[in-house]
Amino acid sequence: MILRFAAVVVAALALAGPAAAACSHPRTSLTYLEGQVMCPTCHTTLDQSNSAAAQQIERFISQKIAACWTSERIESALVANYGPAILAAPPHKGFDLLAWWLPIVGVLAGALVLAFGVWRWSRRGGSEPEEPSDSGLDEETERRLDDLLARFD
Amino acid sequence: MTGRLKLTGQLLALACVAGLLALLVWKLTHQEHAPRVGAVAPGFTLQRLGGPGTVSLSSYRGRPVVLNFWASWCNPCKGEAVVLQRDWTRYRSRGVVFLGVDYHDLAPDARRFIGAHELTFPMLEDGSGQVTGRYGIHQVPETYVLSRQGRVVAHLAGPITAPGFAADFRDALAKAAA
Repeated sequence: MILRFAAVVVAALALAGPAAAACSHPRTSLTYLEGQVMCPTCHTTLDQSNSAAAQQIERFISQKIAACWTSERIESALVANYGPAILAAPPHKGFDLLAWWLPIVGVLAGALVLAFGVWRWSRRGGSEPEEPSDSGLDEETERRLDDLLARFD
Repeated sequence: MTGRLKLTGQLLALACVAGLLALLVWKLTHQEHAPRVGAVAPGFTLQRLGGPGTVSLSSYRGRPVVLNFWASWCNPCKGEAVVLQRDWTRYRSRGVVFLGVDYHDLAPDARRFIGAHELTFPMLEDGSGQVTGRYGIHQVPETYVLSRQGRVVAHLAGPITAPGFAADFRDALAKAAA
């Protein structure tokens, strides 16, 4: 029984060893690429889709992973077949760089505007002018009014 | 100074809102719709599937065209392929052109599909879906029958083997080929 088990383990290792060693780099995974690649008919990533087109691409990716293709090579093959829209994120080059930089620029600009607003508000708060008197009358009129009222006391 | 800053800020905000509105209007006016019956079918040039060179729709002006959109992952396309091949052999002598447009598909799988169903009419690849988008295709199979003048005679959004479409397809073919 033990001999049989040992034979099975040795056979499994003998089969798995060359397959694992065949890749000179870490294997990419279907789970990773499912989040990077779009389903062309449903416009969601593959991991969100169960359509026939998505399943076809998943099969393609699995075959290429088994053949030791890198994720970059698989993505390039998909782009060659479906065009750049097959990728969930735009490439880091050319006009597509705008898609990466614009949100960062937007957030920074927003933060600057906010910081400027807070700075101005705090400055205005520090040198706030004294409130005018409740009556809104000048000193002379107020004095004359006091004199007039004093006559009735 | 602060007044000028305030004015600049307000102008920038206005410009942003105007830009967003312009984008919305552009998106609404550039939405792709299926060409209606009687309208001129959108022109295109596509790569041949499994062969060199390109094919332009305009090169078939003067001949009726059956434009079938399909994909190898589409199950109803399998049953339809047999009928399309049969009709192609029947109508080609009358000058009718059949064109298959492979939609959002992997080229090797598409070639296997063509081989398995022994399809002999010209096949074009539209992996990116640019042309299918102009025809308002959201599912496959779909078929357009075009007149000699390149106008849409019929649009069948489903397999031509479906009970409701089989007669429509034959009528449209007869009309286009007349």
